[in-house]
Amino acid sequence: MMMLSSILVLLITNPSAMLSEMIGASTGALELCFELVAVYVVWLGFIELIDASGLSDKLAKLLRPLIKKIFKVDNEEIQKIIALNVSANMLGVGNAATPMGIRAMQALDDGSGKANFAMIMLVVINATSIQLLPTTVIGLRSSAGSENPADIILPTLIVTITTTVLGILLVHGVEKLRNKIKRRKKK
Amino acid sequence: MSAYILPILFLLLIIYCIYKRINTYDHFVKGAKGAIKLVVDIFPFIASIMIAVALLRVSGITTWLTSLLTPVFNFLGIPPELTELVLLRPFTGSGSYALLENVLTTYGADSYISRCACVIMGCSETIFYVATVYFSQTRVKKLLYAIPVALVCSLVGTILACLICKVM
Repeated sequence: MMMLSSILVLLITNPSAMLSEMIGASTGALELCFELVAVYVVWLGFIELIDASGLSDKLAKLLRPLIKKIFKVDNEEIQKIIALNVSANMLGVGNAATPMGIRAMQALDDGSGKANFAMIMLVVINATSIQLLPTTVIGLRSSAGSENPADIILPTLIVTITTTVLGILLVHGVEKLRNKIKRRKKK
Repeated sequence: MSAYILPILFLLLIIYCIYKRINTYDHFVKGAKGAIKLVVDIFPFIASIMIAVALLRVSGITTWLTSLLTPVFNFLGIPPELTELVLLRPFTGSGSYALLENVLTTYGADSYISRCACVIMGCSETIFYVATVYFSQTRVKKLLYAIPVALVCSLVGTILACLICKVM
């Protein structure tokens, strides 16, 4: 729909730019993917180490009560993947979180064609993600000549904690509402 | 300071692996092997969303939306200089980082606008990109309320970020 409306507007304003713009964008995607291969090699390598050394099990054990309560997932393997995804996000390395997010979604897929509760929660938690260390932003700020590039850590932390709590509450709230409506329909 | 944290974590991890007598090299290679396949699998999805975003920008819809939403955002306490950043953030990571750099150099890294922009970047995420990529390897077709809830949280975060930067 987004694409359709853009193409419609382009037809009127600048028809000659459309194809070159689309190919330019997919070239950009290709460049990004080359970069991503390099990034994922490093992160997947380290994640395998974390997994093999048993650290991921320890991390999962630590976060298990929380994950169980928030995601309502009982499967230990999935809990472990979610724990890794959430921790990577907290450290501000979204690129390490992505492979874990994909794996978690695959494991959570129940074949119904609809996103289930835990999947939706994962999307929302990833979107609001508590940031202990906004690594990339701090890097950009210091290279732009900031005197104290790290002074955004605390505000970012406060904001992300608030939005994460809000997100969890909202997802739980909407889910309850949906269940209520469903039950009413059955009656 | 913060630049040391990741390297130190990596160092500790390797030391821990050696202590546990794990073949570090073999396991690293084993994990790294998955990278190319993963990227090949998600490439079409990344390309599609990037094409959609490019069309959105070149068609002028974003400029139009920006001018439309600036008064609304202003009412919510979001500086008009940041409307475009807030709008593009859910769609594109590289695009919004380019905008952030632009803001940093234009207004100075320690100005209110720049600090706001930084906190906004930290507390929001490329929601559409993440949802596309995460769900790309599943059979899920209906995302239900995932995106609306995520967007609402981001907006609340953005408003809060602008408020907090005023006092801190």
